[in-house]
Amino acid sequence: MSTDLQTLLQEAEELAFDIDSSYVKAWKEKTGGLAIGYLPIYVPRELLHAQGCLPVGVLGAGDNLEIIRGDAYYQSYICHLPRSVIELGLTGRLDCMDGMLFPAICDVIRNLSGMWKMMAPEKLSRYLDVPQNFDPETGGLFYRHELEELSADLVKLGARPLTDEALRASIEVYNRHRVAVQSLYRLRQDEPWKVPSSELYLILRAGVILPVEEHLEMMASYEAAVRADTTRKPMDQARVLLTGSFCEQPPLGLIKTLERSGCYIVDDDLIQVHRWILSSIPTEGDPLDNLVQAFLSDTIDSPTRYIDDGVKGAELVQRVKDSRAEGLLFCAPSFCDPALLDQPMAVTAVEKAGIPWTSFLFSENTGQFQVIREQAGTFADSIKLWS
Amino acid sequence: MDANKKLILGGIDIGSSMAKVVIMEDDGKGGEKILAKGFERLRRREPAEVATQLYDLLLTQAGLQRDDVDYLATTGEGECVPFRTGHFYGMTTHARGAHFLDAEARAALDIGALHTRAVIFDEKAKVLTYKMTSQCASGSGQFLENISRYLGVTLEEIGPLSLEADDPESCSSICAVLAETDVINMVSRGISIPNILGGIHQSMAGRYIKLLNAAKASGVVMVTGGLASDVGMCSAIAAMSDEAKNPLEIRRHEDSVLAGAIGAALWGGFRVRKLAEKGLSLQAGS
Repeated sequence: MSTDLQTLLQEAEELAFDIDSSYVKAWKEKTGGLAIGYLPIYVPRELLHAQGCLPVGVLGAGDNLEIIRGDAYYQSYICHLPRSVIELGLTGRLDCMDGMLFPAICDVIRNLSGMWKMMAPEKLSRYLDVPQNFDPETGGLFYRHELEELSADLVKLGARPLTDEALRASIEVYNRHRVAVQSLYRLRQDEPWKVPSSELYLILRAGVILPVEEHLEMMASYEAAVRADTTRKPMDQARVLLTGSFCEQPPLGLIKTLERSGCYIVDDDLIQVHRWILSSIPTEGDPLDNLVQAFLSDTIDSPTRYIDDGVKGAELVQRVKDSRAEGLLFCAPSFCDPALLDQPMAVTAVEKAGIPWTSFLFSENTGQFQVIREQAGTFADSIKLWS
Repeated sequence: MDANKKLILGGIDIGSSMAKVVIMEDDGKGGEKILAKGFERLRRREPAEVATQLYDLLLTQAGLQRDDVDYLATTGEGECVPFRTGHFYGMTTHARGAHFLDAEARAALDIGALHTRAVIFDEKAKVLTYKMTSQCASGSGQFLENISRYLGVTLEEIGPLSLEADDPESCSSICAVLAETDVINMVSRGISIPNILGGIHQSMAGRYIKLLNAAKASGVVMVTGGLASDVGMCSAIAAMSDEAKNPLEIRRHEDSVLAGAIGAALWGGFRVRKLAEKGLSLQAGS
């Protein structure tokens, strides 16, 4: 792993947009292990890691692949991510995946899991259902059963059986990973000029491809490099929180555009798998129960998760306060049901709290940012001059 | 920071064809003046380099160094200047610049090389609304630049020549491609250059008046941006406005072309004082 900042960022970018799965193929050749792809937002990577598998985030092809056959699978009012995942699959770019997990995000991803079963009947294709009832005796038991079934499926593929000892070790390494991610987020909150979001995004996106141990090294190298870089000086930018981009990811150009138009992104929903579980998971006791319990009671308040009407948006307001953001950018993918159905309730909460906001839509392959640039630029101006 | 502290401010406005730079002083008592000013055509050179060289030259002219500047603000494509303190969007800066050049102005008509914007603002130069031309190039300075090449005249000659028109020839106001074809036809029909340019100015002015009306402009309108230096253009807009149902008072200033840079610099000063109220500071030029 390189320690030079520019080389490090170049490595991260190559990994982040490795649509040909070159890294995964090389890893499999080197280790003989199984690669398990997963869609956003969250899968329990600790479990896959404990069974010797490489969890690989499948975040779509962004603006790096022309969609030719993927469009035939979805209506025009469906988001872009599943089209590019289909395209990646049909062009053989995901053939190296021994299995694919489709976590419960929305109906579109559920349908994608069904399509995948038909497209690749010989491969493991599993819809990972997650509880919306957070009572340990109900949702907890259900989720544990899901994880046990997943674990058994992996064994059938050739993975090693799950042991408490291995799972504890995996939880421990992912706990360190959570701490490292939080450290970068805190550094960005305190000194956003040192950690541009366009860089942090690349570093985090590389982390859904790399094995966790290597990604820990990458994050440590990046943090050390930016802390030591004295050429990065503060600028007068508006501090904003970017929300809504938890599933389909915005193109890198959009993040750069927002920063160039005068915004410091001090918190976001990007690559949420790294931050889904909020704090360290205990390693004592039954580790599988601990994994389940963390999912039930210690996660981000995502739109894909059931939240009572009364508190919808409250967590977002709290995040604005915690990150000392001066405004909020609702930046959701076009046709993203979870993000856009929640937005009115979130807007009600942020307006009640007196937080300035604006909203716009994107697709992972959006190539023109002029309108967003104008909108974000004038929003930043209004915060700097009139808030 | 002392609320009455004198501030040195820099403003850089990078457009698609020109970089405009001002160095200003804000005396802290409501007095603001330009210490040095200038603009430079980009001519396919790196915009940030052109702007930086001009900025350093103007600082020298003003007897200042980069470290003396309290806030260097950029606008337009000025995000490419790495040592800026902050960046403001074009609408915001042209409103402030127009207000500085004429305190009675309540609208700015910013005519740039690629776009034209009508910006409506209040007595504090706070933007209330705006309208922008679509992507069609016929309402922009780039179109006029192309025409000047066809006619073999320099950009500086366009305005005075247009004022000599005695029978302006009308041309397409819808499409740059059609308008350019019109111009070629006019040349082959022997129409004089002043009448061709006068007709083009009228055609463009008609679009601008529609834009101002759509933005609900009223009262004094300050023409800003690169084409504000074109006297023929400003004259055509004023004449067109006089004929309209709700006439506007179209004005220009010798520094109109610098309005974006001026507005950026002044908003920079506003930010320095605002940040100081919160106990924060930012040093420009580092």
